[in-house]
This record gives sequence, C-alpha cells and structure tokens, in this order.
Amino acid sequence: MLKLIDVEAGYGAIPVLHRVSIEVGKGEIISLIGANGAGKTTTLMAICGVVPLRSGDILLDGQSIRGVPGNRLVDMGVSQVPEGRLIFPELTVAENLDMGAFLRKDRQGIRDDLDHVFELFPILADRRHQQGGTLSGGEQQMLAISRAIMARPRVLLLDEPSLGLAPLVIRQIFGIIQKINRERGTTIFLVEQNAHQALKIAHRGYVMENGAITLTDTAARLLENEGVKKAYLGI
Amino acid sequence: MEYFFEIFFDGLTRGSIYALIALGYTMVYGIIQLINFAHGEIYMIGAFTALIVSGVLGALGLPGYAILLMTLPVAVIYASAYGYTIEKIAYKPLRNAPRLSPLISAIGMSIFLQNYVLLAQTPDFLPFPSLLPPLDVVDRFHGVLSSSEVIIVVTAALVMAGLTAFIKFTRMGKAMRATAQSPRMAMLVGINVDQVISLTFIIGSALAAVGGVLIASHVGQINFYIGFLAGIKAFTAAVLGGIGSIPGAMLGGLVLGWTESFATGYVSSDYEDVFAFALLVLILIFRPAGILGKPAIQKV
Ligand SMILES: Nc1ncnc2c1ncn2[C@@H]1O[C@H](COP(=O)(O)OP(=O)(O)OP(=O)(O)O)[C@@H](O)[C@H]1O
Ligand SMILES: [Mg+2]
Repeated sequence: MLKLIDVEAGYGAIPVLHRVSIEVGKGEIISLIGANGAGKTTTLMAICGVVPLRSGDILLDGQSIRGVPGNRLVDMGVSQVPEGRLIFPELTVAENLDMGAFLRKDRQGIRDDLDHVFELFPILADRRHQQGGTLSGGEQQMLAISRAIMARPRVLLLDEPSLGLAPLVIRQIFGIIQKINRERGTTIFLVEQNAHQALKIAHRGYVMENGAITLTDTAARLLENEGVKKAYLGI
Repeated sequence: MEYFFEIFFDGLTRGSIYALIALGYTMVYGIIQLINFAHGEIYMIGAFTALIVSGVLGALGLPGYAILLMTLPVAVIYASAYGYTIEKIAYKPLRNAPRLSPLISAIGMSIFLQNYVLLAQTPDFLPFPSLLPPLDVVDRFHGVLSSSEVIIVVTAALVMAGLTAFIKFTRMGKAMRATAQSPRMAMLVGINVDQVISLTFIIGSALAAVGGVLIASHVGQINFYIGFLAGIKAFTAAVLGGIGSIPGAMLGGLVLGWTESFATGYVSSDYEDVFAFALLVLILIFRPAGILGKPAIQKV
C-alpha cells in the first residue's frame, strides 16, 4: 500500500536517510524502531513531502507521491499523528477533531466518526469544549490520534505516540491503535523508540540506525533477536 | 457633559477605523509573523479607488446612497486584489527566508505604493465627496454626534461582528486559526496553507478598504500619504491590544481612539500623537504582550 524505495533525503546539505526501503502492506501494522536521531521522524516527513527526496521514490497504491504537497495526502487516504502531537492549542477538542475532517463533506459520516472517537476515548467527550492546549499529555495524544482518524484514513502514520506517557496510558493507546487496525482495517505505520510495545502490536518491523534500515523481520522474530534485545529492549 | 459625549463619540469613530485597519496587521501577523508595513497603503488605495469610482458615478447623477453602495464593494475588491498580489509577489517568495527579509520587502512595498499613487494621481490633497448620507434621527443630536460618525461606528461594528462569526464558526475560519497555531499540522490535516494566507490578506485588505472609504468621507480629503500615519496608528492599536489577537485589535483600536480624542479634547490637539505613542510605550513596559495578548512563553 505504502512503499519507500531507496529513499535518500536530508536537511539542506546534510543527508539523513540512506537508501531507505520500507514496504507497508494493506491492513498491516508496521513498526519502525530506532534510537534518538536515527531518522524516524525524517522518514515520515519525507512521506508527507516536508523533506524533499534527493533520490528514490515513495509509492502509494503503486502511484508515486514524490513531490505531492503534504496537504494533498489526506485526500489520498494518508493521515498523520506527528511527533509532539501538534494539537491546535487554542482550538477546543471538538474544533481540533473538526479540523481532522477538514476536507470531508459527508456530514453524517463525520458525525458517526465523532461518535466512534468518543467511544474509543470517552475522556475526550467530557473535554469536548476545553482548549486542546490545556489537556494532559496523554489526553493530547488521544486527541491527536482521534483527529487523524477523523479523516477516515486508509493509512495512519504515527510518530512516537508513547513519548512522555505513563506505562498504563501507553498500553491503553497501543491497544487502541491495534483496535483501529483490526476493526476498521486501517493500515498502520508506527514509528517508535519504545520498541517493546511497538513490536508487540506489529506484524512486521524495521530497525533504523543512522538513517539506514539495518534489519527487518516479523515483529515476533525481532522481539527474539539478540541484537534488538540488547539495543532496544534493554534486556 | 455634552462636551464629554462629543469627545467620546469622536474617539469611538476614530477607534472603529483604527480597529478595522489593525485587524489586517494582527491577522497577518498571527499567521505568518510578519508586520505588513504595506497595509496602510492598502487602506489608502481603498480610499483612492472610492474617490475615482464615486466621481464617475456622481457624474452620472446617481443619488448619494446609491453611490456609496456601489463604491464600497468596488473599493473593497480592488484593495483586496492589491493585498493578495502584494503577498504573492513580495512575501511568498520569502516564506523560508530569515525574518528580516520579508519585513524589508514590506517596507519596500509600502514606499513603492505611496510613490506609485503619488505619480499616478497627485501629491496634493484631493477633496473627497461625503458619501455618507445624513440621517434625520441623528441630526437632532446636533453637535454631540454626527450622521457620519454613527454610520462609521455601526458599519465597523457590523463588519467586525461578521468577521468574528466567520473566524469562530465557519470551517474556513477554524482553519485560519489552526494555521496560525500550527502551520505544519494545518498542512497535515489537509489545509492548503498558501490559500489560508491569501485569504488572510484578502480579508485584512477588505477591512482596511472599508475603513479607508468611511474615514475619507468623514474627513473630506485624501492624498497618497494618508496610509502612512493611519497605518502606524493602527499598528500601534494592534500592538496595544496584543498583536495576533483579533479581539485585541478591536479593543486596541478603541483604546487608542479614545486616548487621542480625550487628549485632544481636554489637553491640546498638539498632543494627540504624543499621548497615543506614550500609551504604547506604557503598555509595552507594563504589559509587553499587549492588553489581550498572551506572553510569548505560552506560545506552544
Ligand atoms: N530541521 C532539521 N534540520 C537539520 N537537521 C535535522 C532537522 N531535523 C532533524 N535533523 C537531523 O536529522 C537526524 C534525524 O532526525 P530525526 O528527527 O529524523 O530522528 P528521530 O529518529 O525521529 O529521533 P527521535 O527519536 O529523537 O525523535 C538527526 O541527526 C537530526 O539532528
Ligand atoms: Mg523523531
């Protein structure tokens, strides 16, 4: 569904990604794990066109999306939960969710998805009229995920949803990510430092080091891999 | 007491105009953190357009209110086209440049437009026809407030109420706020940020044109330079209210208008500008973010 082929990208003169190839199949959960500064966020920024490609290509449903401006991707079925959540701080929770559905015109569908989101995260329903910036970190993450779902994406990109959250909240959020994948068939590309949680819910995984993919396998086998255990699982 | 009210309404009238222009500064700043120095010139161009259009319509022998109702939209459209174009040619190419570059480009635009009107029209003051029709009801309060003051205040209030509703309730209004708060995320939810920026310039220019037409009719003369002082005053109002804040610009405009009028009315008209800028200095010392602005640290 989403395919990166030998992607090279960077900032200004500094190269960051080196021949990165990743394939995310329809209905899969794929986790990309790596340490600080490995290039995970850059990979997502390359997908949404913020960081231009030097070479290589990115395909969505077999079509190149190289050079497609980021705001057009939503219409093509790709939504993102970015690093740091980027909640609109002075919009209310309801307005943040409405912005997630910015390009949609099917009012009934939007209302259904809003109910769905409030079912997934009941706390957001209670906080509906509160400004996004005043939510707790966990609530903001829930809101960021919900906002992305409001676009009814076929592919959901998530950048470190576990960042700064308590273990209990992390488990809850990862449970919901899995649920979205199972119940709605949404394809998930998950970028994480929390390798354990990310691989536990994934089908397959990629390991990134210094801007290059160094290992890829099924998630179950990566969890057993000695190198991965040492470097990322703290065992 | 009558004198007090006379001054009060004079301040309210000035303040409404400042508010209309200040909105353009504050909205543009809110979205791209640029002080659009050419904004005062948009106001001036709005007034000049109105002068030309109303002159033509007047020659056709149309009645006053018909002239106003046809002149205002033309001035608004013309000024908006200028605002839109200025952004496209002078600011958009510098979107990723250091912040000083678009600022200098803005000052250049301002000087260019002033000189363009100076050469294309005239350096002298031109009489501006009174487009605002007399209202019988108001004229009974003769001396305290005039018909044109009432029309200006009411029009400005309606326009600002419309803007507030647009920003607050429509999806495009929300998209404008979203873009101001996080352009990156706005793009990721599918908002065309370039389009939102253009729209911001168009709305700001339209408001300035309304202000320009109203005040020119009230004062009765214009020249190529009126945008400069009005621009500085309106910018002061925007900073006073808290640059980036829409209600702040409205409030800042009124506070500035009243400050000037009361200084003129009770002290001396020589001190009008002194008081206006002294107020600005005071606010900047004691409340640097402006009356309704948020301290910079809170900005996420
Ligand atoms: N805007 C930028 N300009 C220049 N270099 C950047 C920029 N953003 C990131 N980099 C560099 O690119 C490299 C990869 O950064 P990236 O943000 O992709 O890492 P990451 O894997 O997401 O790390 P983390 O887990 O800490 O978020 C780093 O060396 C970083 O310093
Ligand atoms: Mg990152």
